[in-house]
Amino acid sequence: MTVRTIDLRESVMARNDELAAEVRTRLSRHSVPAFNLVSSPGSGKTVLLERTLENLGDKFSIGVVTGDVQTQNDADRLAQYTDKLVHAVVTGGACHLDARQITTALNEIDLSKTDLLLIENVGNLICPASWDLGETAKVVLFSTTEGEDKPVKYPKVFRESKYAVLNKVDLLPHVNFDVDKAVSYARQTNPDLRLFFTSALTGLWMDEWYSFLTTAVTEAQGK
Amino acid sequence: MSVAVEVGRILESRVGLQQLQKVVAVGLEVGDQAGVEFESLEFCLEAVFGSPPFRNAGAEIERVPGNALRVAYLEVDDDRQDD
Repeated sequence: MTVRTIDLRESVMARNDELAAEVRTRLSRHSVPAFNLVSSPGSGKTVLLERTLENLGDKFSIGVVTGDVQTQNDADRLAQYTDKLVHAVVTGGACHLDARQITTALNEIDLSKTDLLLIENVGNLICPASWDLGETAKVVLFSTTEGEDKPVKYPKVFRESKYAVLNKVDLLPHVNFDVDKAVSYARQTNPDLRLFFTSALTGLWMDEWYSFLTTAVTEAQGK
Repeated sequence: MSVAVEVGRILESRVGLQQLQKVVAVGLEVGDQAGVEFESLEFCLEAVFGSPPFRNAGAEIERVPGNALRVAYLEVDDDRQDD
């Protein structure tokens, strides 16, 4: 038996990172900011996108890529708010989206007619943190029906995100959730994190989020 | 699982599809902050390396600090006979 050893030292993410860089270049060429929404299942990603499309859909052409393990239910829900820009990725068991899937999705979205791209990742707080999709920034969602210690339990996704949304704030009178603790945990994990407080289901407290996206689009377009 | 499949793709790009059956061991470095559960990765690699075109290559995972997720090396047995 003649065994030879080949030294590789190759990052497992290398190919994904190359594709993510290509996605970033394509988006940049068309001045399209892209936000990758990440959360555990049930935090309200789809509802947040529904409200966003409802409120900013007339102002901007918004492309949406949804990732689901099975079904394209989220894409079907969001398609009610926009005519042609929703692309569903059914991952068939995979727990996150990768840059290859975004590359394919972008082939079906006319970026020259798109102002903003929103990506709804698979509901999972672990794996999506490790995969660069070529987005402008990750946005991590968590909600008042979850533990306020999510930022310290899942630090990587909070560290990798520039923005965090605490959703379902309308339920605060009814749940045992300490907002100050949640904010403190989030800041402890990532001091630069910008926080939004929303109630996507009721549509209340959403203005800062809409304003943030509006600014992102106008800045990208150099207006 | 997608990490294990990606490892398989990296090996194929390095040695070629025909040579994958001659791979006897693969060394990986996995950071404790890489977002990868070691036992799950071991299980998934076992599934990938136990299926053709692989012929039961062994996975040797080294835990390292930080975010690293690398294929460090592979061992190829050039004398291993084709089926």
